[in-house]
Amino acid sequence: MNNNLNIDNIITINNASVIYQKDNLITHALTQVTLEIKRGSFIAILGRNGSGKSTLAKLLNASLLPDIGEIFVDGINTNDESRAFDIRSKVGMVFQNPDNQMVATIIEDDLAFGPENLGIPRAEIRERVDWALKTVGMYEHRLRATQKLSGGQKQRVAIAAVLSMAPDVLILDEATAMLDPRGREEVMDTARKLNTEKHMTIVLITHYMDEAVCADKIIVLDEGRVVTEGTPIEVFRQVDLIKKAGLEFPTPAEAAFKLKTLGYNIPVVLTDDELVEALCQLK
Amino acid sequence: MSIKVKNLSFVYSPKTPFQKIALDDVSFEINDGETTGIIGSTGSGKSTLIQHLNGLIRVTKGSVKVCDIDLTAKRPDLKRLRSLIGMLFQYPEYQLFADTVFKDVCFGPLNFGFSQSEAEECAAQAIALVGLDFDEVKDKSPFELSGGQKRRAAIAGVLACKPQILVLDEPTAGLDPAGKREMLELIKRLKGDIIKTVIMISHNMDEIAEYTDRVLVMDNGKLIKDAPPRDLFSDISCFNNTGLKLPHTVNIASILKKRGIDIGTPLNINELVFNIKQALDGVK
Repeated sequence: MNNNLNIDNIITINNASVIYQKDNLITHALTQVTLEIKRGSFIAILGRNGSGKSTLAKLLNASLLPDIGEIFVDGINTNDESRAFDIRSKVGMVFQNPDNQMVATIIEDDLAFGPENLGIPRAEIRERVDWALKTVGMYEHRLRATQKLSGGQKQRVAIAAVLSMAPDVLILDEATAMLDPRGREEVMDTARKLNTEKHMTIVLITHYMDEAVCADKIIVLDEGRVVTEGTPIEVFRQVDLIKKAGLEFPTPAEAAFKLKTLGYNIPVVLTDDELVEALCQLK
Repeated sequence: MSIKVKNLSFVYSPKTPFQKIALDDVSFEINDGETTGIIGSTGSGKSTLIQHLNGLIRVTKGSVKVCDIDLTAKRPDLKRLRSLIGMLFQYPEYQLFADTVFKDVCFGPLNFGFSQSEAEECAAQAIALVGLDFDEVKDKSPFELSGGQKRRAAIAGVLACKPQILVLDEPTAGLDPAGKREMLELIKRLKGDIIKTVIMISHNMDEIAEYTDRVLVMDNGKLIKDAPPRDLFSDISCFNNTGLKLPHTVNIASILKKRGIDIGTPLNINELVFNIKQALDGVK
């Protein structure tokens, strides 16, 4: 246990670097990353392909250990291999393709797999599975085959399977990339609900800027370094930096910038409604 | 016309408990030179529809004609059909398999009976066309490329067969913002240069609005709307139960309209800004 850790933070990253070596080529996947993630916060991580987002996510549940520096999850150093299972039960991950994450043919069996492996008593497994399915709104489907679900439903089952492990942190690593608009909305609504109602810490990795604007804090990675972090407004205000990092602006923000360069007095806005509100003020 | 689909229906696992109607009496025609978007939620029949176009699913009810090839014929010339229609599936980077990019891109033309030298020439052209550096990538394993490069290598493999029609199933899914933009610009460029007709499935309404001439909306196996994007998005009554969303530009316009400011149906950011400017200046 590190006495300097702030207990408000569920995750603390101290100066972490990850270095890949292939032949004689050394690549820095992450360079001197220092971050704090507050308990119960909603974090979005943005960055182009290859910027280090997924590497960072893997550090958070000890799937990958840093070559330099350290990561603390709820006070536990991820370098302590004897605690790897504790860490992974605290930090659950959902990936892009839900089909790669399903292990059973029936939904409730799929959810029971994780807690069964932890050796949890049968009655408690039943409770956890039911709770997790109700939380993501899939309880009435519990006896259906996983194959027969839509993409958004599958991804919600994948989230429920992680919830059945009762984690403190849920990492969504491009979990909406393969979904249709309705599926994306289902997953995002579920994430927001877990955050606001269950106070679960959410780490959302995404290429969709409009998903990131609902976060408490956005972290932007480029070439393995944290290039900025702050509230969505603070981040998207930095026009040059966003472009340099290979990102784009949410459509309303971009429209506001363009109108501003045309001489209209419009503040930074992030959502369609905010833009409309700002325009109505101008009238 | 290049594609004619008439009263097409298709049922998966017919006469079993798993019977599912995937296409229900779908009819449309696509003319040379059009970029057509196909939208609809998961399971609405989009992929089943495009698999009919190159004979991966045989027509069981209704008819499909591509150029002069009638797919309801007893033995349609599937080989020629597939050389006319280049098909790019979802996440095409997973279909790369050869040990070098060059061999991978040559695979298609060689199988269509091109000579080795013809195939190599077509492959080299196709690799350059998708914006990859031929000398840099030709001897690399496709698995050494980045995500966006892999996808472009897969497109090169399709283009090397010299198709006239390109069908793309969610070409931008999973790409980062810059990769998305590059992919859409590539499709636009190909359409002008070497491909006559483009059909693309997408879940991204913003790109459908900006990059297509015409949109087919699928819902539960039915074609419920066939219209240019501006017409489609200015009358969204058919969207209500489909789970589809408006493009951001159109959504902003529709909220503004409720507040008494009419800026029409802008399909891209420049139109949106221009129309807003006009509306604001009009009231000054």
